[in-house]
Amino acid sequence: MSFEPIDDFERELQQALERRPAPPGLKRKVMNVRSHARTQRIRDHRVMWQRLAASVLLAGVLAGGVTWRNHEERRKGEEVRRQVMTALRITSHALDQMKTQLAAQDRDGGQ
Amino acid sequence: MAHDWQADFEQLVDEHQSMVFSLAWRMTGDRGLAEEIAQDVFLELDRNLGRMESQDHARFWLRRVAMSRSADALRRRKVRGMDLWVEIEEGHGAKAEDRGSPLGARLEQLLATLPEPQRAALVLRYQEDMTPEEIAATLDAPLATIKSHLQRGLKLLRAKAQNHLKEYVRVKEQVREF
Repeated sequence: MSFEPIDDFERELQQALERRPAPPGLKRKVMNVRSHARTQRIRDHRVMWQRLAASVLLAGVLAGGVTWRNHEERRKGEEVRRQVMTALRITSHALDQMKTQLAAQDRDGGQ
Repeated sequence: MAHDWQADFEQLVDEHQSMVFSLAWRMTGDRGLAEEIAQDVFLELDRNLGRMESQDHARFWLRRVAMSRSADALRRRKVRGMDLWVEIEEGHGAKAEDRGSPLGARLEQLLATLPEPQRAALVLRYQEDMTPEEIAATLDAPLATIKSHLQRGLKLLRAKAQNHLKEYVRVKEQVREF
């Protein structure tokens, strides 16, 4: 909707307030700054992704180290348990032999 | 359909640079500052390009942001109407052909002496040929307030013109006689 100018004064005002042409270099400046800003944004994104990737890699390495350490401790614990069990088995076997020999000696002595 | 419209940044700059620059210049009275504001407005547009739904929406958005940025710039500089008048009168780098007729230039000077809300309403009304409803939506102000700004601004401008534009009447009479 457009209003008709009410009087000469308003018509003069309307003419006086016609749009002025933008400075000749405005569009070029805008496009240059926009291009620079976009390049900067892409660079910032790249740096952000690099940092994120480095963080993820570091976290992975740390998590892997912790997991390996836990695994290694568990493996060592298992090894020790096995050795103790073997030692117990050997001891038990020796005791059984000794018991058999004692029993045999007792039998021979009684006869 | 509005959703079929694809915002083309370069085309929008081409089409609206004169509007944005003129709004900023008339609100601030400083050509250099107006150029900076126009540049900022278009860079802001670039960041919000995906949200533009239509040509009309982009035009509305540009007007709104241009007016808002100009008001911010004025507040930052704490420039009062009379200071602006001096700046515009001195030209501030404006070329002679940019300044239009002497009468038009004088009216612009007088417009710059008006309080900011009245100046904003009058610039949108007479530069952009907008209705009070559209101005209210652009400036995010009640319609009654905008109508009041238009009425008071025009009245004040007429009074100032009567005091300052003696040559206006003289030129008119000379033209009629001729």
